[in-house]
Amino acid sequence: MDQATTEQPPPPAEVATIATPINFVLLALFLILAYYRLKPKAAATLPSPPPPTVFKTFTPPTLRPYNGENNMPVYLAVRGRVFDVTPGRNFYGPGGPYANFAGRDASRGLACGSFDEDMLTKDLEGPLDKLDDLGDEEMEALRGWEERFSEKYLVVGKLVPVGSEEAKEA
Amino acid sequence: MANILEQLDNEVAKLFASWNLYTTLIALVLVAFVAYPIIFWEEPDTHPLLLARQAQPSPVRQPKESATYRSLEVPHGYPLKTGLNVKDAGAPRWAGGKDGDIRDVWREVMKGGGSGENAPPAGLIITVMGSDAAYEHDLKDISKEINIIGKHLQQIGAKKVAIYLANSIEYLSTIFACSFYGASPILLPYNLPPNVAFDLLKETEADTLIATAGSLPLSDLSNATGLRQVTWVVEKTSRHMDWSGNDDANGRIIVSVWHELVDDQKANASVDLPSNDQSPQPGSITTVWQEKHGGKSQIVEFTQRNLVSAIGALSSALPLRQRLNSADLVLPADSFSHTYVLCHTLAALFSHASLAINSVAGPGVDLSLAQRSVSPTVIIASAETLAALHQKEMGGISNSLQKFAHVNQSQAMSAGRMPTDNLLFKLLAPRQNAAGATPGKLRLIFTSERLGTDAPALSNTMLSDLRIFTRSRICYALTVPKVAGAVAQSNMFDYRMTNGDTKYSHFGVPLSSVEIKLVDKEDARVDGNTPEGEIVVRGPAVAGGEVKLGVQGKFKQDCTLAYA
Repeated sequence: MDQATTEQPPPPAEVATIATPINFVLLALFLILAYYRLKPKAAATLPSPPPPTVFKTFTPPTLRPYNGENNMPVYLAVRGRVFDVTPGRNFYGPGGPYANFAGRDASRGLACGSFDEDMLTKDLEGPLDKLDDLGDEEMEALRGWEERFSEKYLVVGKLVPVGSEEAKEA
Repeated sequence: MANILEQLDNEVAKLFASWNLYTTLIALVLVAFVAYPIIFWEEPDTHPLLLARQAQPSPVRQPKESATYRSLEVPHGYPLKTGLNVKDAGAPRWAGGKDGDIRDVWREVMKGGGSGENAPPAGLIITVMGSDAAYEHDLKDISKEINIIGKHLQQIGAKKVAIYLANSIEYLSTIFACSFYGASPILLPYNLPPNVAFDLLKETEADTLIATAGSLPLSDLSNATGLRQVTWVVEKTSRHMDWSGNDDANGRIIVSVWHELVDDQKANASVDLPSNDQSPQPGSITTVWQEKHGGKSQIVEFTQRNLVSAIGALSSALPLRQRLNSADLVLPADSFSHTYVLCHTLAALFSHASLAINSVAGPGVDLSLAQRSVSPTVIIASAETLAALHQKEMGGISNSLQKFAHVNQSQAMSAGRMPTDNLLFKLLAPRQNAAGATPGKLRLIFTSERLGTDAPALSNTMLSDLRIFTRSRICYALTVPKVAGAVAQSNMFDYRMTNGDTKYSHFGVPLSSVEIKLVDKEDARVDGNTPEGEIVVRGPAVAGGEVKLGVQGKFKQDCTLAYA
């Protein structure tokens, strides 16, 4: 066997050629990688935040639908400022302990610490509750509530009586 | 099934049978190509998502107004930055500081190099003169000068002190002297045609002028303006001449000379500056905004509150570890009469950085000229200067090696890193000399667009190129007449080149001393996350509290402000 190989003339020095299938495969791989490396990358982006809420002027009747029913957000008004209390839907939304306040002017109720129906202004078309008859203690309580609301919730509008100048403008 | 597998096996065997030397080479290159970025991984300078949303829009907007945008430093519901947060000596660490005023900037400088354990390191103040002379000032001497000039101003009853000087230590001393002794400085642009300067002096009702000797004809000054006092600042080389003679002025203007005042009283002058109880309330600071040099002017009066809030906001606008500190040498290469430059300079002094003052500084000065004989780490330059540098350097890129290096470095930038000074880049980089003798040391350039002036636009591409040429990061700010400092300033790590190229690059996010909203008659334009409309700026840095800029702007998806 050994003899046979030695006797045979040495195989002609084969010129290594670049044009072999495996070279093509590797080159193609290289080109693909290079393409992805050099391709300009899109800058990192964050998902778009929700667009800002527009500050609105409400009257008691137009505020009424914002009580959390029918997928509406929950708003309530304190001394003319309308707060979006949707994050506290469990309290202020339908079925919550403060559900009476949803979509209403809650000033008197908060000041007096009562969540009853009779704290709300009956006549939606009438003037806003001026709270003139409340004592210092109650006003103090109301201020405390307002502060807490301002810290936790967004002011999304103001409440004006029906028929006022501002209501006509809006 | 087995047949197919066998065939496949044969094919693969055949494929690998043709493995030869070239295949080995290609395989090696391929492995290197894959492994290189894994081994030599370089992190971007900041997290890409931090650049994806850089400011904070308010959740509620008024009708026909966009959401209010604020810097992330000052969330909605909290007050904007109003001052320097100066703390009394001995106050507990957690106690809130006062807003302070410009006097507190110099007091802070004088705290440097003190003997206490917590004393901050002393910053140097250097004046660069001519081609190779740099003179280091003694801070105590400057304090004395502030006292001498301040007392002099007080004695002559100066109320409104116009400053008509090139950038110099006297410029800053006058501002401090006015603040300590209750006068109001008026910062005039330098090198104006005499009649323009006279008009400005008259319009600002200046009663005292501090000017470079011989820069304005004295005889005309007395006729054309309401001045009662002139103090000449005389260069060292011209001091042999008699500048105190007032023959031309017909005795109506009293003339004094800065260095004579200082020399006369230096021996008796105190280093201690008056405390807040001893000195009157510091006056306002009046600036002049010119559409082009010597052109139509707008005079704006800033309160000290405006300025300190701008100084505080500019110094905190940089990322925490990149803020100016005592290791920095700051070179203002633009005139102090621009509040952006002045506020950055005062912020540098307040943070105990060293300061190099060069009298050639002004819009359009050649950067290499301005930084001769010093190697600053931070430069405050005008848009003119950078546009000229860009043109010069782009012209210098001619051969393909340089072009390759340029593309290569642009790529590193778009990946969020500054190209480093490695060997490859040194071999291939374009000419480096433009940014001084030691380009590696320069780390930051502040530059600004001046709204409604002839300042050239700097586009995103230009800024990116300039970052490569100067090897430093660049902050681009929007400055307007009625806002001290700037309205908005771009993030120093923001090198992104996406979103196409507009004439002006974006201006980054509002500084923490202001908040910005856009207003438009059409509600739909200002709705959503990319509102467009007229820019309205509000905050403690704004003269009068709120200003409509009269220019259309837009906020982009990343919350950066740009011209619409």
